[in-house]
Amino acid sequence: MQKFSFLLAAMLLTTLSLPAQKYFTREGKVSFFSSTPMENIEAHNEQGTAVLDLSNGNIEFAVLIKAFRFEKALMQEHFNENYMESTKYPKANFKGQVLDFGKINLKKDGTVTLKVKGTLTIKDVTKNVETEAVFVVAKGALSAKSAFKVAVADYNISIPKLVADKIAKTVDIKVDAALAPLNK
Amino acid sequence: MKKILLILIAIAAVAGAAGGYYLWNKPHQNMSKADAAYALEANALFMEYESDEAAANAKYLSKIVEVKGEVSQVLEGENTTVVLATENGIFGVKCELDPHSKVEFPSYKAGDQVALKGECTGFLGDVVLVRCVPSER
Repeated sequence: MQKFSFLLAAMLLTTLSLPAQKYFTREGKVSFFSSTPMENIEAHNEQGTAVLDLSNGNIEFAVLIKAFRFEKALMQEHFNENYMESTKYPKANFKGQVLDFGKINLKKDGTVTLKVKGTLTIKDVTKNVETEAVFVVAKGALSAKSAFKVAVADYNISIPKLVADKIAKTVDIKVDAALAPLNK
Repeated sequence: MKKILLILIAIAAVAGAAGGYYLWNKPHQNMSKADAAYALEANALFMEYESDEAAANAKYLSKIVEVKGEVSQVLEGENTTVVLATENGIFGVKCELDPHSKVEFPSYKAGDQVALKGECTGFLGDVVLVRCVPSER
């Protein structure tokens, strides 16, 4: 019994001394950009959620499609109704793993670029994605940034023939998250 | 006869172009003047989403919803987002303030009792409303 309580105390102590393993944000930024001869298509979303688990490198990011803001009301309408069908598919998400996540050192300020591998789901279509992300540690705070390209046709997004030549086939996506320790 | 036809075609073309131009530059909906389809406590909205997300989406998605509640947190990004508290403790109802609105927003702080209306965009841990403006009722 005594041995057991000692073990328990030792276990508790080690858990307590470990830094927080899960990092979270509810104000993750996602934006996309696509240039066309007519006008650039650009939208921003600041309401994404992201969770990074530093004990295993798992990373998840999710956004609500309807929370993307466009400069032009008409573009926003077309994006939601025609291209993304956001009432039917309200979310998009990325689930993956940061390779060599052990290189993120929270005790020391610095920047490290790591490969991230996972799956991106848009409109219920799931595809493999591989990209690089920049992790910055500054004064104990952690942030992650990444940029990658998505081919519109991969995700069941159909562009009307009339404008097909005027709209880029790939879209640049940028992700930016300032992560804070999740205490619960 | 031919001349009249040509003039008619020209008028139609100009009208079409003007209409197209108007549509292209159509402004975002004026949220202050928009009527809320639903009005409820932030906690009630959150609970509906937590118990059945699909049913809540069918009801609230894209609709203008007015919520009342206590501010638990104010997130200062490019746009200010006001988080309303719920029984959940961590998650709540996030209200992103409308960047297109000409309304003067008060400076919200934790503990304030507020009523805001905005477009419901779904559930992501929090219920997320965008383009929020103060509700007058």
